[in-house]
Amino acid sequence: MKKIMAVLLAIMMVLTLGACGSNNESAPQEEAAPTEKIVIKFAAQGDSTPATQQSIDDFNASQDKYEVVWEDMSNDSGAMKDALKTSLSAGSSDYDVISMDVCWAGEFAAAGYITPIDEMLQAAGLKISDFNAGSMAAATYNAKTYALPFFPDLGVLFFRKDIVSEEDAAKLVAGDYTWADLQAMAETYKGQGDTTEGYLFQAKQGECLVCNAAEFTAGWTDIEGGLVAFKALTDSEGTPADILNYAEGETEKFMTGAAVFARNWPYMKGCETTLTDDQIGYAPLPGGSCVGGWLLGINKNSANPEGAFEFLKYLATEGQVVQATVGTHLPGYNAALENADVLGANAMLTDAGFQKALATTVSRPVSSAYGEASDAIQINVHAYLAGDAELADTVAAVEAALAK
Amino acid sequence: MKKRITFTQALFLLPLLILLGIFAVYPIVTSAVYSLFDYRTNDQTVAGLYTSNKFNAPLFVEDCGYITWYLGDDVTLLEGEDKQKAEQIIAEIDEIAAPYKEVNEVVSIDGDISQNVVDKMTSYQEELKAIYTKNSDKQFYNGYEKLELLFNEVYGCKISSNFTGLSAYVQVLKDTRFGDSLKTTLIFTFISVFFEFILGLGLALIMNKAMKGIGAVRTISLIPWAIPTAVSALMWSYMYDGSSGIIAKIFADIGLISAPEAMLLTGSGAMTAAILADVWKTTPYMALLLLAGLQTIDTGLYESASIDGAGPITTFFKITLPLLKPSILVALLFRTLDAFRVYDLIAVLTGGAQGTETLSIYAYKLMIGQSNYGYGSVVVLAMAICVGIIAFIFVKVLGAELLSDD
Repeated sequence: MKKIMAVLLAIMMVLTLGACGSNNESAPQEEAAPTEKIVIKFAAQGDSTPATQQSIDDFNASQDKYEVVWEDMSNDSGAMKDALKTSLSAGSSDYDVISMDVCWAGEFAAAGYITPIDEMLQAAGLKISDFNAGSMAAATYNAKTYALPFFPDLGVLFFRKDIVSEEDAAKLVAGDYTWADLQAMAETYKGQGDTTEGYLFQAKQGECLVCNAAEFTAGWTDIEGGLVAFKALTDSEGTPADILNYAEGETEKFMTGAAVFARNWPYMKGCETTLTDDQIGYAPLPGGSCVGGWLLGINKNSANPEGAFEFLKYLATEGQVVQATVGTHLPGYNAALENADVLGANAMLTDAGFQKALATTVSRPVSSAYGEASDAIQINVHAYLAGDAELADTVAAVEAALAK
Repeated sequence: MKKRITFTQALFLLPLLILLGIFAVYPIVTSAVYSLFDYRTNDQTVAGLYTSNKFNAPLFVEDCGYITWYLGDDVTLLEGEDKQKAEQIIAEIDEIAAPYKEVNEVVSIDGDISQNVVDKMTSYQEELKAIYTKNSDKQFYNGYEKLELLFNEVYGCKISSNFTGLSAYVQVLKDTRFGDSLKTTLIFTFISVFFEFILGLGLALIMNKAMKGIGAVRTISLIPWAIPTAVSALMWSYMYDGSSGIIAKIFADIGLISAPEAMLLTGSGAMTAAILADVWKTTPYMALLLLAGLQTIDTGLYESASIDGAGPITTFFKITLPLLKPSILVALLFRTLDAFRVYDLIAVLTGGAQGTETLSIYAYKLMIGQSNYGYGSVVVLAMAICVGIIAFIFVKVLGAELLSDD
């Protein structure tokens, strides 16, 4: 009996020591600060630029009530989502401010993982219209606003200014063209200026296919027409024969001069390239640009929702300038689009075609069962594009998926 | 002979039994329980295992707050009777929500009470709809559409039991996607195990020969098996790639496929690709299992056979194969069960596209991708039953002595 007691005592001592140890480790700043700061945990992926860290440092320096700590998440979005869902569904308060991909917001909101922020926005004097419209549409579920943009992203048409005629270029930049026009142009210009392909876009079975479908169907308003145009382009001579296996990575070939047109996210601009800036033009897509990017929300079980909102507000408004100047992101706060530093840092933002694309955005379905809807759209649309399914069946399947 | 064990002996087995309970029995029982419910964590009305009536009080209070807030803004634009009516509704909704303000969780509630709440809210919604329609000329700040969404969410706060019993099992039988993935899995399993067996047996016979440098042959042949599946799958996916893959190009040049991109883009191409990669990877494993069996065969038998004048072919069919039967059955059983639950290879190569979705991929997509734990569990259990049937066929019909009592 004595032995057992001794063992138990020993275990307890080890445990308490361990607990003390971990306390000391996590709170070196707290000891240094005159008053104890409330720790706000921010779940976000690693950032290849110092922007996120600088935003956090700026916020921490700007006030003495809260201390934001960055909880590094997996750079594999799927793995990050699984980790978040595991934590949130268990009702944990591990994270206060959560960064999430635009298409997770509906699911997280419906599941009750994140908290609506309308009241807090109103109290802070912020309006929905102050932020990127497409991102805010993705952040709204059942008439409640759940998130603000961390950084928006959008599909945009890249084209070769040196190959496309001035007349056609003007049409593209103004968004005054249809998918059929684009297909005709791709077929016409293919092969000119050492290119091997006309138009590159994403038709591989995956999330990228849903984004492209959103654009072809003009935000799911014309599903039948959009799918017909989609199939016509994939079958066209102007696109690669294996376009059905193209994702973003394959599309980057545009930057090495392989194609005349390409639909991709703005990040492609930063890829290694053999083209000069003068050779690349930007244009909106005929059906609107699909919104991607990330949002910021607050864990419903957060111990400090006020502090979490303080940081969220900072990051979504003032922090957007840092995100756009130190980092390479597009600002999601409309006021930041007029900031001279932001405009100076990103030449795209002053491009007429790109501005037009920013103004005409469409969203992927905002659904509580987004994974299921996305899955169904991917499978059915891909089968139709590959010629394994009828148009009417595919339209019905997509409509059913949207209703989920 | 089975011996009875004493109490003290049983005590030594206790840790093992506890571990078995925690790591084997508990997960299976949990899955079985989940499979009886419509359990989806991304929908608050079915985000738990509910057997009685519940009420999602926090969401109800939140939604009532939103309704009265949005309505409060719009009310300022109304006049006269409509304004009075709307203000009265705001006050009444506040009153209904008041008792739940301090409740922070989904609570058990009498079904009549929650039904009463829902009925009241339905009547408010109808009255509001009438008011908004009547004043449709006004530019409201929020409008009826937003309220409608919120009211619909309110009705979801009344949670009834999501116990579905065995109905999900009936659903799985009618699920064409399940049927398709079962078919895919069976095709993949039988074709790949067949080729692995033929090639593995050949490899084992070579490795069994006592010749110079056989150690090196054995080591080299094991390399494919030593590479993690995810890595080798990635390697194969580069070789199958339509624009730059060497295998895709060779196959297209010799006319096996119409064009290089057909390798991963057509159903038959993608299936062949997956089977080829699996055969390449696991043939050495099959060979290893068969080699162990070959080495237990008494060399004296071969000597007597050759003295009796039997040629190599007769020896193979009369001595090697019959004596190797137990090893063959065990090897086939292991590989069949292994191939049946294939996940990583397919996930990396196609992600389940082009009709290569196996049961494991489908179950993963249901559970992790769609948070549908209820139906996902049904698919997993159905898979377990299939595995059980395969094992039964091997052990009872073919007589594999995997677990001998003697």
